[in-house]
Amino acid sequence: MNDSAITVRFDGNGRAYRPGETLSGQYVFNSVASQDLAAIEVSVLWTSEGKGDEDLAVHEFSRQDIEEGEWFDTRRPGRFSTTLPNSPLSYEGVIVKLRWCVRVRVFLRQGGELVGQREFQLGEVPSADAGENSID
Amino acid sequence: MEPTRPHAGGEFTLAVRFRFYHKKRGSRRTGSSRLGSAGEILFFAFFLLIGCAGFAVALMTLIVPQWRVNHEFVEHRCIVLKKKIGRSDGEDGTVYRAEIQIEYHLGDDTFRIWTYDIHRAYSSGREAKQAIIDRFLIDQEKPIEYVCWYDPAEPGTAVLVRGYTWWIWLILVIPITFILIGLGGVIYRVLHWGKSTEHRAVIQQRVKRRDPFVVNGAAARKFPSVPDDTDISNSPGTTLRYRLPTLASPGWKLFGLFLVSLFWNGIVSVFVVLAVSSHVEGEPEWFLTLFIIPFVGIGVFVIFLFVRQLLVATGIGPTLVEISDHPLQPGDSCRLFVSQSGRLSINSIRVCLICEEEATYRQGTNTRTETREVYRREVSCHESFEVHRGLPFEAECDLEMPARAMHSFKSEHNGIGWQVVVEGDVAGWPDYRRSFPLIVHPGNGRPRNDRPRNDRTDP
Repeated sequence: MNDSAITVRFDGNGRAYRPGETLSGQYVFNSVASQDLAAIEVSVLWTSEGKGDEDLAVHEFSRQDIEEGEWFDTRRPGRFSTTLPNSPLSYEGVIVKLRWCVRVRVFLRQGGELVGQREFQLGEVPSADAGENSID
Repeated sequence: MEPTRPHAGGEFTLAVRFRFYHKKRGSRRTGSSRLGSAGEILFFAFFLLIGCAGFAVALMTLIVPQWRVNHEFVEHRCIVLKKKIGRSDGEDGTVYRAEIQIEYHLGDDTFRIWTYDIHRAYSSGREAKQAIIDRFLIDQEKPIEYVCWYDPAEPGTAVLVRGYTWWIWLILVIPITFILIGLGGVIYRVLHWGKSTEHRAVIQQRVKRRDPFVVNGAAARKFPSVPDDTDISNSPGTTLRYRLPTLASPGWKLFGLFLVSLFWNGIVSVFVVLAVSSHVEGEPEWFLTLFIIPFVGIGVFVIFLFVRQLLVATGIGPTLVEISDHPLQPGDSCRLFVSQSGRLSINSIRVCLICEEEATYRQGTNTRTETREVYRREVSCHESFEVHRGLPFEAECDLEMPARAMHSFKSEHNGIGWQVVVEGDVAGWPDYRRSFPLIVHPGNGRPRNDRPRNDRTDP
């Protein structure tokens, strides 16, 4: 199971999205058998990074419980789609950074977890630089 | 399996397996989440167990006996044979209780017992117990009959008083608190058992949405994580449409410094008196004297800050800032009105637009907050003029938001805030700085100046 992996791809290969746009894509399992899956969670979320403790908020969340009868064929890619919110926008600050990503988390029947995620940019806010009028 | 490094483009994959210990990184996870959750469940279960046990003991020894006295004990007659004040010497001093020997007959049986109430508890206050036993008279010639209540299940148990005691119910608060904390913790942890970080976050977000007191509750639907602007929009200005609230009232700051100064110097003064007394009495305590010097220094510095703030608060009048439009968006322009009262000879007043990042983090057992100014632009500057009492300085200027500015943001530990800051340099007074927060919403890339505007307040 150590070689297992999840690849997340976005449609249109875009990485900067505007609020209200639709973000869609697919996730692909590499060397994970369907019978090994217990549950799949797909989340569109933002996390904070930087000096402060980490904050996390989930914009869209879906869970498939394979153990409870839902079937997922790992040979085919899974799809996700969401309308992006107005805020918060991606931000590269000095002590506060906000990152958006799509995260796919798989719970295995044997008790382990696999996580695959891909970042994307929401909005086009330039990075901040302390002491300079860099936002202009 | 170790996490793989991120691929170019921010994509990465990793596997998570059960571990007893994880690497510590700041306040982030320091161990296995499952082991941690199991430990927390055990911890709260222990609380619950202690609470249940305490509740059961309180119920069986305090509540039930008292209830039985009031509902099941049978009224009867008795005579008083002896009386005294029982005493018990403990670590907290001597405590007392009323002890009265009574005699009563049930059929062919005669019972002679020491009693008063069902609990027979000791407490402080000898006079109160004396007053109790004084109510019962002993007459060997013509014995006086008193009402008593005996236990039909155990006729050898009887009391001279019934009723409910308030402190018994107060005691129940302790086990009930343990039960609530334990039960709440166990339920919370069990509900979160085996759930991912994202799943837990979703549950917490749903709970927060139901909370009417959340910070950005009103704005959350349209602009998640953007602070609510109701406080500003509800405050009309006299010249322009909205009056901006000040970030920290000078009065509160002054009061806070007063309390700190009083608290610190109050404690330090005790040791100063001891040290000075030792010198006056000719037996100088040199260690104490040297030890308290830095503490006295801090006390003097706090007094200096207090006096400085007092001068600023009383000598420099209030600063008002009003704005024609709110909330703002990147690229917006609006009018700004600044008023400064007092009787002052001002070297300069600068009005600046500032953006600050704020990060709160735990360091050991302390929680610290750090702010960093990431944007500053001077909006207007006025130099060398006099402000007369009753004739405040007033100025208007244009305020332009940067076209690609980050919007206001607030989460539990991080924030991004915009402020209008008025910085004054007054001759003969300490410099002062007053901040007025603004709310900036995310823009759509186009300035909103095409929308209908009404800068002025209605007459």
